[in-house]
Amino acid sequence: MQLAPSVRELRIRFVGSGSEYFRIWIVNLLLMLVTLGIYYPRARLRRLRYFYGSTEVDGRPLAFHGDVKRVVRGYWLAVALAVVYSVASQASPLAAGVAAVALGGLWPMLWRSSLRFRLANTGWSGLRGAFTGSTAGAYAAFWPLLVPAAVTTAVALFAGPDDKLINPWPVLAVMAASLLPVPLGVWQMKRYQHSHIAFGSEHTRFKVGVGAVYGVLLRGALLAAVCIAAGLGLAFLLFAGGLRAGGARLGTVTAFALPLLVTALVLLLLQAVVRPYITARLQNLFWNGTRSDHLRPYSRLKARSLVALSLRNWLLVLLTLGLYLPFAAVATARLRLESVRLLSKRDPDELIAGLRQQESAVGDAAADAFGLDMGL
Amino acid sequence: MIDALFYDGHSARAHKVRLQVEHRQLVASGAITRRWPLAAVRWPETTRHGQRVIHLADGCSLEVADAAAFDRWRQAQGVAHDSWVVRAQQSWRGVLLACVLLVAALWVGYRWGVPAAARGIVALVPLEVDRSIGASALQGISQQWLKPSALPPARQQALRERFLAAARARPGAPEVRVLFHAADQRLGPNAFALPGGTIVFTDELVQLLADSDDTLLGVFGHELGHVQHRHGMRALVQVALIGAATSVVIGDFSSLLAGVPALLGQLDYSRQAEREADHAALALLRTAGVSPQVMLPLFERLAAHRPEQRELPLALSSHPADEERKAFFRNAAR
Repeated sequence: MQLAPSVRELRIRFVGSGSEYFRIWIVNLLLMLVTLGIYYPRARLRRLRYFYGSTEVDGRPLAFHGDVKRVVRGYWLAVALAVVYSVASQASPLAAGVAAVALGGLWPMLWRSSLRFRLANTGWSGLRGAFTGSTAGAYAAFWPLLVPAAVTTAVALFAGPDDKLINPWPVLAVMAASLLPVPLGVWQMKRYQHSHIAFGSEHTRFKVGVGAVYGVLLRGALLAAVCIAAGLGLAFLLFAGGLRAGGARLGTVTAFALPLLVTALVLLLLQAVVRPYITARLQNLFWNGTRSDHLRPYSRLKARSLVALSLRNWLLVLLTLGLYLPFAAVATARLRLESVRLLSKRDPDELIAGLRQQESAVGDAAADAFGLDMGL
Repeated sequence: MIDALFYDGHSARAHKVRLQVEHRQLVASGAITRRWPLAAVRWPETTRHGQRVIHLADGCSLEVADAAAFDRWRQAQGVAHDSWVVRAQQSWRGVLLACVLLVAALWVGYRWGVPAAARGIVALVPLEVDRSIGASALQGISQQWLKPSALPPARQQALRERFLAAARARPGAPEVRVLFHAADQRLGPNAFALPGGTIVFTDELVQLLADSDDTLLGVFGHELGHVQHRHGMRALVQVALIGAATSVVIGDFSSLLAGVPALLGQLDYSRQAEREADHAALALLRTAGVSPQVMLPLFERLAAHRPEQRELPLALSSHPADEERKAFFRNAAR
């Protein structure tokens, strides 16, 4: 790309290594197991510090400042929430419903708190970031993602336990339709996230239309359909081949093992192909649509490269029974980070630190315990 | 002395300084001069790659680009000792030891830790919970696989009375309810116990062993063992525990993969539970004065009943191999 003469390009490099992260990972893992999970927040902090410290922007490393005490406190709060939630959902349908509604109601607040904690603890060149989004904004962004859960609950309440009496097609159609607001929710959440990042005197804006998100997710859904069709086609070929080659006996054996194999294959394709495809497309879309007064990220992550890497990672993780995981994490971080550059209109030394703020680590850890990884 | 870049925390401008430690203070001197007591310094953990960043309590920071030189310098200064965790992470010998200990910890946890924890947790769960789970499971199974029994009521009653009388003779035997049902073809000759104490015999099993009520008594003893040891509830807890442990290990990679160890682990625990239930069957038969030998026809007839060789490799099977179970009862009869 042609740069105007006054535009400086800040390169992003990831200098971490798989073998080093393997050593950190395996020792952390041992400590987590023998302490029955108590070591988890410290291990997580070390992992974050390693990945941040290995990311260099314009030759200067990022830093994660999160403090052990806060991360530990947040972790125990998250554990308490998870325990209350799972006990409630075992106890009775009513308690499960109440717990789900309570958690859904709390989630945007925890999410915002986690964004503030993450940004406030992200340092570069001695400066700290900040997240300026409001709690109300988090709730306003989040609602479309509640629609599928609400519709499923409503259908379950309406249908009752005896599912045979209901014609399945209208129900399926309603449930499929309830997925329509999901891309809107993804877009609203990204808009909320990417328009409230502050670093020094720079504040971000977000200029991506909702249509582009629908476009990416629709293509992802088509790719998923292709993967499922491929899995079923392969199953049919194997089954027919088994019948012809081994007669009825082999035919029964394949009929028995086949559904398992095909399910595993389709799930693998969804994870190793569809997911990285969507990740790559959305990364480019979201980062290229974000800018501040003087800074603009430019991401050109090829979906094909991320899919190829992800297939390789899956293969090696399965072959090594999981020992390749830390190598996979480093390789993915390197590819995703190094395909982003920062374009700056002025000398970054002139960026002046904004206000510093303290934010509770509670949301950060709580969001993680529910499987929602934020950022890097 | 070592070269570093100083950041004041207000501006992204870097100042070149040289660092040294004197009088328990870290001193940066150059374009600016600053001092911090060592207590206010957060030293970086050693890593092989990347730069070193020193964080200071007042929000300032120092970056050292030459990591190797920094490590030599601070060793010479005698400050910032790495914790033993970091030292282990930096040496391949420590890592190898960690690998060995990890495998050992996984094995101990899997073999003894998880089953013991499951037993402890289940002991805290009131029996009411077993009953409500068993009731909803029975409802689901009946709808799909069970029809009303075609056995004459008198036959059902006679078997039931014999079973319950034998159970009463065993100290500490739980309250159970015995049901008979005609089964779907997929279920065939079978008997199973649900949490809470419902034991179901299929008509097909009663017919298969029509000439040997003693064998049926042994089967009842086996199912009674499942109820007594609360195997169903323990299975639920064990799956949850292994699932939680695996998701810690690989959860951030894939929740899909995390389910596989839980499944394989549960199949292994299930084989252990079957063995435990066979022990219970043996105890019941002995109390009732019946030779354990009566169990042998069960395995032979069930094997003959199977349409073809459908045995799965052991790791994927919920029961121990027939040969092992036959040998158990044969040896017990001696």
